[in-house]
Amino acid sequence: MDWERDYIGAATKASSAAPPPCTAASSSSDDNDDAAAKRGKKRGSYNCGHCGLPKKGHSCHVGSSHSPAPDSSSAAATSSTLPVSAAAASSALAASASTVTVMPSALSSAARPPQSPPPLLPHHPISHLRCALSFDDLDVRADEEEEDIDEVEPDLDERDRDFVDGDADAGGLPARCLWEVLRRLPPAELLAVARVYKGWRETSRRVWWAAEDLKLRVPSRAQLYFVGSVLNKCPELVRLSLWMESDVDATMLACIAFSCPNLESVEISTSSNAVNRITGDELGRFVADKRCLTCLKMEGCSNLGGLVLSSSSLSTLWLSDLNSLSKMVFNCPNLREISLEFSRNGNDCTDLIATVDGLGRSCPILQNIHIASVRLSHAVVLALTASNLRGLRMLSLVLGSEITDASVAAIASSFSDLELLDLSGSSISDSGIGMICNVFPETLLRLLLALCPNISSSGIQFAIAQLPLLELVECGMTVCDSNDESLISDEAINHGMEKRPNSNLHLIHQKLIIKHSKLKKLSLWGCSGLDALYLNCPELNDLNLNAYKNLLTDRLLIQCPSLENVYASGCQELLIEVIQNQVNNNSFPMENHLPFKRLADGSKRVRVPHFLCQQQFDVYKKQRRRPPCNVLAE
Amino acid sequence: MSSSSSSSSPSCPKKMITLKSSDGETFEIEEIAALQSKTLESMIDENCASTPVPLPNITGKILAKVVEYCTKHAEVGADAESLRAWDAEFVSVDHPTLFDYILAANFLEIPTLLNLACQSVADMVKGKTPDEIHKIFNIKSTFTPEEEEELRRENQWAFD
Repeated sequence: MDWERDYIGAATKASSAAPPPCTAASSSSDDNDDAAAKRGKKRGSYNCGHCGLPKKGHSCHVGSSHSPAPDSSSAAATSSTLPVSAAAASSALAASASTVTVMPSALSSAARPPQSPPPLLPHHPISHLRCALSFDDLDVRADEEEEDIDEVEPDLDERDRDFVDGDADAGGLPARCLWEVLRRLPPAELLAVARVYKGWRETSRRVWWAAEDLKLRVPSRAQLYFVGSVLNKCPELVRLSLWMESDVDATMLACIAFSCPNLESVEISTSSNAVNRITGDELGRFVADKRCLTCLKMEGCSNLGGLVLSSSSLSTLWLSDLNSLSKMVFNCPNLREISLEFSRNGNDCTDLIATVDGLGRSCPILQNIHIASVRLSHAVVLALTASNLRGLRMLSLVLGSEITDASVAAIASSFSDLELLDLSGSSISDSGIGMICNVFPETLLRLLLALCPNISSSGIQFAIAQLPLLELVECGMTVCDSNDESLISDEAINHGMEKRPNSNLHLIHQKLIIKHSKLKKLSLWGCSGLDALYLNCPELNDLNLNAYKNLLTDRLLIQCPSLENVYASGCQELLIEVIQNQVNNNSFPMENHLPFKRLADGSKRVRVPHFLCQQQFDVYKKQRRRPPCNVLAE
Repeated sequence: MSSSSSSSSPSCPKKMITLKSSDGETFEIEEIAALQSKTLESMIDENCASTPVPLPNITGKILAKVVEYCTKHAEVGADAESLRAWDAEFVSVDHPTLFDYILAANFLEIPTLLNLACQSVADMVKGKTPDEIHKIFNIKSTFTPEEEEELRRENQWAFD
């Protein structure tokens, strides 16, 4: 297989398909992020919301099938993640995975989660489960269209008590049981069965009335009144998620505002051929009028023009594909999480400094900030650090090649409690890492430094060693041989990631020795400058070695008994074999590596390497029952 | 003493509960298996389950299957894959039986069985026209022609 060709091909495909930002509220990382969850929004979704593979180093083609099945109890507001824009950068530099191995995903995405069974009923029959109706296909002509299956999870509240105790209807089932059946139907079916019997019609109406969550896919030829009539059926709607394949403009917003007075969360995603024509004024009006809106997420915001958002209820705001905004003002005193992704086609001229300055002043309780823009610079960082955002926990400033070590110094001196720091695509060097390690060892859980060409493997090693609480480390494409043409496609250059001359040629042939007791996810995709890797992490679950070209097979040692998944697309076959042997080997291969000295009396004195400890043997005992590790390669 | 196949703690005798169907048949079920039914669980908690529990809504035929379901799902060490297959087998029955499962699961408050049976019925309904549904479930439409017309108009937008 011509790796280069696939690589570039995949990159162009990925960029033209423009995968929506992966908004995976990863339930697998939920386990890791329990601590973070308590403090609010999770961050840095590591895995693609579509197919479950790590976002780094893969282009996702699982875009066509939508089977959202919200496990609403986990899709509750506390567990959304900010999109990692390094993923978008990586999709431009997509690795060779032109076919994506879909792993059974335990992720539940806010937008497009995989199928999951509806939650079980709690003890009392009048439950207060979250209710979700998910449309994937508004067209009810089943024979023509492929029906995507959705989940219906209605909520019976006090009003429906009399309904529940009703008599058996013509269908032979008491109303309560009929309700249980109908609520498991996809919305299109729900509409169809309403015509079957009176009782079913009434019941299906009840199911609609009880709906609190609605996920709608609006096909390209859908009319507005279509959506309007659907929204009219569910006046209690609390969360609305629209996947637009047709253009969307302010009339949609008006329709939403009119039909759903209790709406708290609105999410509008756009497919690649849908144009979002909503302007800043219109959006501002919508937000101002909706008094209980807490969460707004919108894609394709290229026509905003200028934006002034005023809302006392808004706490989460994600806007992507922003382009050349004349001004961005956020008068949202309750804003906790903001994610601004700017377009990367090079002609964005938004004044980030003013924006960030304003953010700092008008949103004092911000906890999570994510900005992806090639215009991020040291000046922007200074504007941010000058603000009094004492509650900042997650900071992600990606794609800013003008972010330097000085910026890190400013961040380190202003925000002492960061749990997540993502400076992917920046120019920071090992001394920046040193500063990070000085200030954040007691709080930092996630460190993302993908595509940072001035960082060496010793910097990474130092960081991991000095930050004992780290759970996720992302170093994709960081230690790489930038002389390797194939790694950076034309797409990447167009997107502003110029090939920066690697001033440290000696950074090729580096090694990485990692020993960490808490690390759960490590990504080293595309690190072609590394040729040796020693990993000793008892809690490591995910290891991403996609496109790890130059690793020598005899210089790989993985001693991670909890490893569940290793991603090895684009690696040589021999390497994949070695990985498989190592991770599935029940006995530690270290025995072969222990040097020993035979003494005069015939006994052996074994010299134990510095990274072995008692912990190894305890872990080994636990290892007996662990499931085999998946090595996922193309 | 014990009617279940595999068990982890053979030392203590399995506590059994007796259930009595509407047609007078009695069935024994392990207490552990019975705990899957919220109704039975609360009865056990309140110590009302020492005498046979009458279940006037459930016939012997259905009750036997329900007992089988609960016992199977109370087994330890069953792997998810085979359990799913077993479940699929369990619900490949005719509609009246499936409806009876739903009624039984509803009455006894067995969430897993209720979910399984309702999902099967829902799956059966999916993709069928109202006429087909009428045929499957063998019930007549109770709408007058005027009401039918109104319904069709109401849902017209969905069919355009």
